[in-house]
Amino acid sequence: MSEAKTADATAATEGEENIPDMSLLSITDGENERGIPVVKFIDDVGAFAESFTPPASAELLIGAYTELHSKFKTYEISLTQKQANLKSKIPEMETSLALVKSLQKKRDDKETIITRYSLADDVYGKAELDLDQGSVNLWLGANVMLEYTYEDAIEFLSKNEQLARKEFGEVKNDLAFVRDQIVTSEVSMTRIFNWDVRKKRVEKVQGGGDEAK
Amino acid sequence: MLTPEEENEAEVRREDQENINKFARLNAQLHEVRAEIDSLKKELERIDDASTEIMMADAGKVLLFMGGAFFETSEEEATTYCEDTVEKYQERIQSLETEESEILEKQDDLKQILYGRFGKSIQLEE
Repeated sequence: MSEAKTADATAATEGEENIPDMSLLSITDGENERGIPVVKFIDDVGAFAESFTPPASAELLIGAYTELHSKFKTYEISLTQKQANLKSKIPEMETSLALVKSLQKKRDDKETIITRYSLADDVYGKAELDLDQGSVNLWLGANVMLEYTYEDAIEFLSKNEQLARKEFGEVKNDLAFVRDQIVTSEVSMTRIFNWDVRKKRVEKVQGGGDEAK
Repeated sequence: MLTPEEENEAEVRREDQENINKFARLNAQLHEVRAEIDSLKKELERIDDASTEIMMADAGKVLLFMGGAFFETSEEEATTYCEDTVEKYQERIQSLETEESEILEKQDDLKQILYGRFGKSIQLEE
């Protein structure tokens, strides 16, 4: 355990001179369009460890990957929330749109609408809608409500729905991308660990009785 | 824990990593698709119940709940509304089920490749 600590400390001082941020920059490979880092794929663990001066220990490498991994996890959580948010918003937009469309249709058919609308929780009022006015109020958020004609409202709502769907697609892609990075870093950590086990096994056989450890 | 004999020396190459990532992506997709099928099926059941009720009630006028308010509609109109919605959902379920079987197929292919290369050192289930 103390061995790991000293390795860490030397790497940290070394890092200030030639490797600015061993923990992240040297194990990432650029970033995607939305600023999420790309985890570096290690072709050969041994060679990768040797590429550091001094050669990085397994503990140091795994530590760096763990940090990156938890970073990706944070991305994953915030993206998952964003996705869930959109997932509940899109059906709401769909119903609003369907509702305005049906209002428009009723007006064109010269029908009247009798509705029970919500006054408060579990209290409903009865109203007859005057469709001839052809206007509907849309709740825009931030305590703002605007009056639209049916046509404008439909255009506005469809545009919003499309935007939300587009964003949903983007979030989905980002999430898939982040999951790739998570899996890659998990596999990398396992590989580093296995490489270390094998290396120690070989050292034990070669070292024989030389070292009492 | 694997015995030393079961250990696999195969190094993870870049293409292996890509296949592993693909498999994980498919797995996540599979879960999403299944969850969506479930929720659509539940919704479908609700509408199905509603249709039956409309038929049995024979009330002439019903109140249709849309976007937070009830609307008085004729029985006929409400039935059409239900039928349209059922159709829409069934289409969606069908396309999702096709997607599900495609995912499973792709996963099987990847499983063959990856198990072939790594044997017991890799675990590719749910």
